[in-house]
Amino acid sequence: MASVARSGREHDNPAAAPGISISGVCHEYRPANGRPVLALDDISLEVKDREFVSILGPSGCGKSTLLYLMGGFMPLQQGEIIVAGKTVTGPGPDRGVVFQNFALFPWKSVRDNILYGLEKQGLPREERLEIAQHYIDMVHLSGFEDSYPSQLSGGMKQRVAIARTLAIKPDTLLMDEPFGALDAQTRSLMQEELIAIWNRSPTTVVFVTHDVREAVLLADRVAVMTARPGRLKEIVETKFADAPHDEIVKSPEFLDKVDYTWNLVRAEAVAADAEKAG
Amino acid sequence: MAGPSTNAAIALSLRENGMAHWLRIGFYKVGPFFTVTALLLTWELASRLELVIAFLLPPLSVVLLRIAEDMVAGQLPLDIAITLYRTLVAFVLAMVIGISLGIVIPRVASIRWFFDPIISIGLPMPKIALLPIFMLWFGLFDTSKILMVAFSASFQIIITTWSATQNVEKELIWSARSLGASNRQILWEVIFPASLPQILTGLQIAMPVCLIVVLVTEMVMGGQGLGDSMLRSARYVDSPGVFAGIVEIGIVGFCVIRSMELIRRRLLVWHQETQKEETTV
Amino acid sequence: MSAAATLWRFTPLLIIALLWEATTRLGLISEFALPPLTNVISSFFKLLADDLLYHTGRSILRGAVGFLCAMVVGVLAGVLMAWYRPVRILVNPLMRCFYPMPKSALIPLTIMWIGLGDGSKMTLIFIGCLLPIVMSSFNAARGVDQVLIWSARGMGATEQQVLWEVVVPASMPEILSGIRISLALSFILLVSAELIIANNGIGYLIDLLGEGGDYAGMFAGVITISAIGFFADRGYVMLMRRFLRWRE
Ligand SMILES: Nc1ncnc2c1ncn2[C@@H]1O[C@H](COP(=O)(O)OP(=O)(O)O)[C@@H](O)[C@H]1O
Ligand SMILES: [Mg+2]
Repeated sequence: MASVARSGREHDNPAAAPGISISGVCHEYRPANGRPVLALDDISLEVKDREFVSILGPSGCGKSTLLYLMGGFMPLQQGEIIVAGKTVTGPGPDRGVVFQNFALFPWKSVRDNILYGLEKQGLPREERLEIAQHYIDMVHLSGFEDSYPSQLSGGMKQRVAIARTLAIKPDTLLMDEPFGALDAQTRSLMQEELIAIWNRSPTTVVFVTHDVREAVLLADRVAVMTARPGRLKEIVETKFADAPHDEIVKSPEFLDKVDYTWNLVRAEAVAADAEKAG
Repeated sequence: MAGPSTNAAIALSLRENGMAHWLRIGFYKVGPFFTVTALLLTWELASRLELVIAFLLPPLSVVLLRIAEDMVAGQLPLDIAITLYRTLVAFVLAMVIGISLGIVIPRVASIRWFFDPIISIGLPMPKIALLPIFMLWFGLFDTSKILMVAFSASFQIIITTWSATQNVEKELIWSARSLGASNRQILWEVIFPASLPQILTGLQIAMPVCLIVVLVTEMVMGGQGLGDSMLRSARYVDSPGVFAGIVEIGIVGFCVIRSMELIRRRLLVWHQETQKEETTV
Repeated sequence: MSAAATLWRFTPLLIIALLWEATTRLGLISEFALPPLTNVISSFFKLLADDLLYHTGRSILRGAVGFLCAMVVGVLAGVLMAWYRPVRILVNPLMRCFYPMPKSALIPLTIMWIGLGDGSKMTLIFIGCLLPIVMSSFNAARGVDQVLIWSARGMGATEQQVLWEVVVPASMPEILSGIRISLALSFILLVSAELIIANNGIGYLIDLLGEGGDYAGMFAGVITISAIGFFADRGYVMLMRRFLRWRE
């Protein structure tokens, strides 16, 4: 548990365009006993305003670490991250985060989980309840408002986590394998839902995944990372014509991109295995 | 570009981080020793400077001297040996009874039926209240002390063994069975090792209970040992003796509990918890 | 559970009770080792009319005051220690030194410090239960999932809010089970201290009756305090369940 309260002061940087600018970020984990682990090595990445970027890489390559740094949860050791013109110095509701393991409050009902962030924004009670209900309906959890997370399936918890983050209307959305716990069908429904939401009110999205198809389908660009220590290997343009998902996934361009990206990632997965074995 | 250049800002933040980092590291390293030393110094000085009545808190040095005297006179090693002997015999007794019952009870329906209400009532009960009855039945010597201690500790061991062996993953048992293991083999080669971490936790909870109860039996019945000596000091209002007792018992307790932890680590090398950074006491 | 099932469940206790009565009445066991159960029961009612309630009340009062103080102070101290790093670094080593100390060693100390009365027993239970509660609250608060804390911060919670709205509720299950263990400890300490030396309280009464050769009375006293300990634990568990309904 980090006990040092950071100031949370954010200074405007007029030189930077909105969107996200990551420059020269390194991160090393230093466990109390055990060897330090270099998780990220010199990552630089520009995400344009309202762009949807996927970060793709084998498990353990530092995707979550990068997302946590953008969220401001861990102090930056080296480099700089600017989100929407502000240098990241700590966490804040301008960046909505969907965590890999949901991070729902188990002692709060579905509704209260979603209300939590809204309370922090100081909205009047009536309005909070209305917004919460809207998002509960949106993720198809009507009827489960008073259930506790322990009573929900993995997919339902995931949807609560997404609703909770969307409800605070963040300017930037940081999602860490948000559909990882879903079965294939719910997953593709949620993917379409996410894109629909994003089309209605586009925000800058960084979407971490290790599913190549998901990354290529959803994102405008896919940033492929190397195995540990995570570096940026290549950025693949994956913007397709506006069309329903089931049409896109059949198009030859899509299949080519998936194939191309898949080969990039596979090389890294092999490298990661070799490192473990060696 | 207005404001400091990015590189300069990074360099600055790194330098700040570095300073703060070293200060913090220094604090982490020195902090623990500081508090312990401060406590001991305060103890010594508070009574030397007569901030508290020496009778309520004799100076540390006086207490240490007293411990050394007892040590040389041979009374202290004897007391420690006697107390440890009672504790360990009782602990082993409780362990044998507790683990066997904990394994048998959930597996034999009639035994489970018989013991279930007894254990669910016995576990939360303050068993030390039965001490007068144990004294009545078994006299005032080692037998009644050891039996009282073993009785106090065994419920906890029964219940953890019971739940641990019941909660072994079904898939683990099924896979052993499909590989052709007999029931007996499954018990000893699958269920027992798989539930060992929890069983050890039960034993680790039982050990402090043994120490607590053994001291009480010695205080009530006498018959030497650390508890008896300490209560006698209190009766004679011999405050260095009482504090010497506290320190001695504290050290003995610390060593016993620490050894339990070391044994646990040694036994559970395969278990992921041994790779964790810090185990809880 | 149906009444029949409950009865069936507790039949073994009935069997034991019947065996107890039969063997003593038939003289298989000496009356001085084990007074017949019916005698114990009649002694209980005799004592109830006499001073059993007074002594029991005294014991409960001492136990409750000491324990409640330990609970409040212990939980606060443990959580704050986990939350504020400098406090942790300074206090943790002390706690590690003192935690394994067998708590009954405090009995002679409190007797010498404060004497035989209520204050001595309350202090004993307060000090004895304090460290285990601090320790378990500390571990509980330290073990709170980092991501829960981040998630609250990310939604704009202040550090104080994270402490009270996330860390405390998230560690509540473990804190409450730690307190339960200390509840049992408080009974052990209370009864022990009263058996060793006291001038009232249920432990004193048991001791007195035993010395006077009234074994039926002594058994009645032992059963009374055991029952109180048992029901205290049951009651606590029921409260705890109600409090932690979200855990399912
Ligand atoms: N708290 C930590 N302490 C030490 N090493 C860590 C910690 N968290 C993550 N790591 C290591 O850092 C690397 C990157 O982790 P992570 O960002 O979670 O990867 P990903 O999300 O891509 O699977 C991994 O190899 C992991 O073992
Ligand atoms: Mg991850």
